[in-house]
Amino acid sequence: MKAETPRQFIWVLLTLLSHYRRHPGQALAMIVGLVTGVALWAAVQLINDHARASYAEADQLLGAEASAWIRAHDDSGVAPADYIELRRAGFSTVYPVIDVRLRSSSGSFITLVATDLLALPLLAGGGSTMANPFAAASWLPMIQPPYQAWYPSALARQLDIAPGQQLQLANGQALPPALIQTQAQQGQRIFMDVGAAMAVLQRRQFSYLAVGHLPPAEQQRLAASLPPHLQLVPNHQAIDLAQLTASLHTNLTAMGLLSFAVGLFIVFNAVRFSLLARQGSLTTLREMGVSTGLLGLAIVAESLLWALLGTGLGLLSGFLLSQQLLPAVATSMQSLFGASLGATVSLQPVQVLVAFSLTLAGVGLALAMPLWQRARTSIRHSRSAPAQWQQEHAGVKRMAAVALVLLLVAGLIYPQIDSVVAGFVVLGLVMFGGALLLPLLVQLSIAAVATLLPQRHWLLRWSVSDAVAQLPHLRIALMALLLTLTANIGVTTLVGSFRAALGDWLQTRLSANVYVQSNTLDLAALGQAQWLAYAAERFGSSQRWQDRPTTVRGLDVAAPDAQALLLAQGNPADLALWRQGDGEPQAILANEQVHFLGNQLLGSLVELQTATGLQTFKLVGFVHDYGNANFQFYLPNETLLKLWPQARREGVALWLQGDTQEQATAALLQAGAKPGEWLLQDEIKRVSFAIFDRTFAITAALNTLTLLVAGLALLAALLAVHQQRLPEYSHWRAMGVGFRQWFLIVALPLLLMIVVTLVLAVPLGLILSWLLIHDLNVIAFGWTMPLRWTWVPVWQLSGLTLVIVFATLAVAVLRVRQTLPDALKQLAGNEG
Amino acid sequence: MTTTMLTLSHVSKTYHQPDGDITVLADVNLHLPAGKTAALLGESGSGKRTLLHLVAGLVKPDSGTIDIAGQRVTDFSESQWNTLRCQTLSLVFQQYHLVPTLSVLDNILLQARLAGRVDASLQQRLVDALGLGALLKRLPFQLSGGQQQRVAIARALMHQPRLILADEPTGNLDEATGQDVMRLFVELVQMTGSSLLMVTHSREMASYMDCRWQLHHGVISNVAALDTVDTGDTGSVTNHEG
Ligand SMILES: Nc1ncnc2c1ncn2[C@@H]1O[C@H](COP(=O)(O)OP(=O)(O)O)[C@@H](O)[C@H]1O
Ligand SMILES: [Mg+2]
Repeated sequence: MKAETPRQFIWVLLTLLSHYRRHPGQALAMIVGLVTGVALWAAVQLINDHARASYAEADQLLGAEASAWIRAHDDSGVAPADYIELRRAGFSTVYPVIDVRLRSSSGSFITLVATDLLALPLLAGGGSTMANPFAAASWLPMIQPPYQAWYPSALARQLDIAPGQQLQLANGQALPPALIQTQAQQGQRIFMDVGAAMAVLQRRQFSYLAVGHLPPAEQQRLAASLPPHLQLVPNHQAIDLAQLTASLHTNLTAMGLLSFAVGLFIVFNAVRFSLLARQGSLTTLREMGVSTGLLGLAIVAESLLWALLGTGLGLLSGFLLSQQLLPAVATSMQSLFGASLGATVSLQPVQVLVAFSLTLAGVGLALAMPLWQRARTSIRHSRSAPAQWQQEHAGVKRMAAVALVLLLVAGLIYPQIDSVVAGFVVLGLVMFGGALLLPLLVQLSIAAVATLLPQRHWLLRWSVSDAVAQLPHLRIALMALLLTLTANIGVTTLVGSFRAALGDWLQTRLSANVYVQSNTLDLAALGQAQWLAYAAERFGSSQRWQDRPTTVRGLDVAAPDAQALLLAQGNPADLALWRQGDGEPQAILANEQVHFLGNQLLGSLVELQTATGLQTFKLVGFVHDYGNANFQFYLPNETLLKLWPQARREGVALWLQGDTQEQATAALLQAGAKPGEWLLQDEIKRVSFAIFDRTFAITAALNTLTLLVAGLALLAALLAVHQQRLPEYSHWRAMGVGFRQWFLIVALPLLLMIVVTLVLAVPLGLILSWLLIHDLNVIAFGWTMPLRWTWVPVWQLSGLTLVIVFATLAVAVLRVRQTLPDALKQLAGNEG
Repeated sequence: MTTTMLTLSHVSKTYHQPDGDITVLADVNLHLPAGKTAALLGESGSGKRTLLHLVAGLVKPDSGTIDIAGQRVTDFSESQWNTLRCQTLSLVFQQYHLVPTLSVLDNILLQARLAGRVDASLQQRLVDALGLGALLKRLPFQLSGGQQQRVAIARALMHQPRLILADEPTGNLDEATGQDVMRLFVELVQMTGSSLLMVTHSREMASYMDCRWQLHHGVISNVAALDTVDTGDTGSVTNHEG
């Protein structure tokens, strides 16, 4: 017997696989399920890994690990003279950087980075581990007029810039001719030579100096030799980025895993149908003396083949998909955190291995349960339907029991949520609990409908009994649909609530009509102009607090926006105290992030580094500050300037008297501001929403893709059901059941199931959005917002689902019509 | 001197049901010599299939012993049964039970391949005798019932079993086709030297066999041959009536 096993194994496997040759549709369903699941998951994983690698490379962007920066205290820039002084003093790893945000004439914001190519330690032979992206190219055209501006290809596409073309800026200046290149790790930024940038942008100062690797002693000597207006700031960028973006990556991972789960549902379904269709053959093989063990082995081998195929194709499409999704993610990262991602992703062997193991585990899981059932039934009973039926029935109850356990566990964990991962665990438990509850709910609804129906309507009763027959075949697809609908409703509500909150917040926050940011504006020259209702100056000072980038902002307390300041937490009496710059210790406001991420409460004392040393402040209120990944504190301007005399100017906000925009802009030009140095309120709002929408583009994309996968799951399940029931349909046909009656019998139960699924998706989606908004969002980003429920996504999704259902029904109708003659013949063959 | 292929000694089988016990076999004894064919007759519900399933190892007897080709199978383990089914037995069913996704040729060869016993000349003889030559590339659903049963018979014989257990193989076929198939079947069984135990309720079909046994109320008895040509030991049945 043992010697015969390999030969038997081959023939058993070939017999099993012959199924897919005759039913390419089911093979296709398997592949689609595996590929979509793996592809979406892999795409997200690839992007995440790629992003993390990009952060690590962020320092090395300019060719050396910048261990520190030299900045002016007020961040007003570093003069070339100071730079030359340091180079003369022997600090050869110091190099100048210009890092500015510019606005193109078409209104897009872009980041430009410029450095001295000749001063870069790497070009001078410094041993960086990274390949220098700029080393291979000829740098001569960069430093000679007309110079060159290097664009990553994605950015060039976005800005619609062709090679050699010059980008026009809003202030009338133009960047040098474009060189478009893909290999450099420069993120979504334009790169130039520093001398060229000074000339083209008419700047007299560098943004800061970067310091390459220095031994500690040298670093101390550097700090000591800096002139008093400059300071040495350690570079935390990579750590900060990794820390700041962690929760966004967790978000993406969760969505990727959801897609994987939905893909697995398709596989479950396909496996189920293929085993069901092959049950007779499996029994025949057992009658021929093939042991259940060997059958199991062959089925495992089959799943191994599927896993290999699914992983291969899935990774390939995931790789392609990630290239498509990357720009959206890059935009999210840039606008949320200012993090740059490289333009291309690469596939690591580890990722291949992980994808394969996950897929294999998934397929194995899909096969294990039915296989176990097969192995338990005796040969004699395995051909009889009732045994099968009873298992299905017990299955629904077992699923509901598991669902209750999952929901109970979710309820127990919920009060203890303190990390993004724990939050997602609760989310997962709720969603899968709901999904497992679905079959029972559908069964109960069918039973309820059955008792309500008039007894004499035979067609309706037939329809109900057909629902009972369809349910076991469709429940997995229904569960996948439920998961996707829930996720869609939840995420759409989250994004919608966020957008609404942002709109309200901008309304109060951006009450000024014009925002000016200019180094050359003489505010006094505006004087008491007729058109001007109020002018408020803003100041800021940066430091690290709780090891996170932190800004202390100065506000003009008499300005309309500060007057109307809305607190997320705090009481009006304390706010008055804060306005007066009073309090013992000094009263201070902070953004909500300080409360949720910095773990501070109203009345907490915080210590900040002032010009004269550490000072203690008392937190008297928290304000909303959407989209900020950093901590922020607020003080009246006078207080701020007293404690941080070198705070930088952050611009002027102007409130206008009536419709006087044109007068205002003319006066601004006269007072020394240059075109492009001011923004109108509407423009900022537009830009803010544009950034918001681009930030959430990746969410929308993943959302749509998972819905598509669920649609495919439903399609595959319906096609398989109809394929399997063709002989039955032929019977009906032979009994004189017309097409319209057939359609009613089959479609009505399906619609009932879809409706139950949709109805369950609404409360689940509401719970999901509640968790996302009130728990996960707060833990991840540190800001709160009200949940705004709208029925719009529910109607949209219902419509979309119905379209999918009717499309699958139409396909099924066509298949039935096509294959009916064959089925009738088969039926005849069996009987005569 | 002929050897014994199948022996049942004092075999009993009772099904316990909520509405009472059904004693299907009460102390049945029978013996089938190697190379002989036997028909098991009886009304519907008389226990024919149960007896066949006992021999195939699909049902366990309550008491008594069964020997197949000299082996005491009554206390076989599942893996011993698998070996026996693979090497010694062939089953033929009323519903043919072909693998729907394999071609006619692959179906014919399936069990022989599993047993590692593909014999090209036997294959040719079976295909020719059963008239399947033109159908080898077809799928089962593209065949008539008679053709499907001929494929099932070819499959059973191709594997050169020592004992074939057939459960109303012509039950799904019309009279004329059934007789054709049956004649071929018996001829080929005799040609290959296998033994055959066939359940049927048709005396017509039973007339092709060497011996005919009748089950009635759990008791087995000989049926007089319709066309009597005695060829030595044609097997026997005894009952201990009580
Ligand atoms: N698994 C079973 N459980 C209970 N009763 C059974 C089972 N199988 C058969 N029977 C009963 O045993 C009797 C004999 O059945 P069977 O062997 O199929 O007879 P036949 O093949 O002669 O029609 C019938 O009354 C049948 O109802
Ligand atoms: Mg019977």
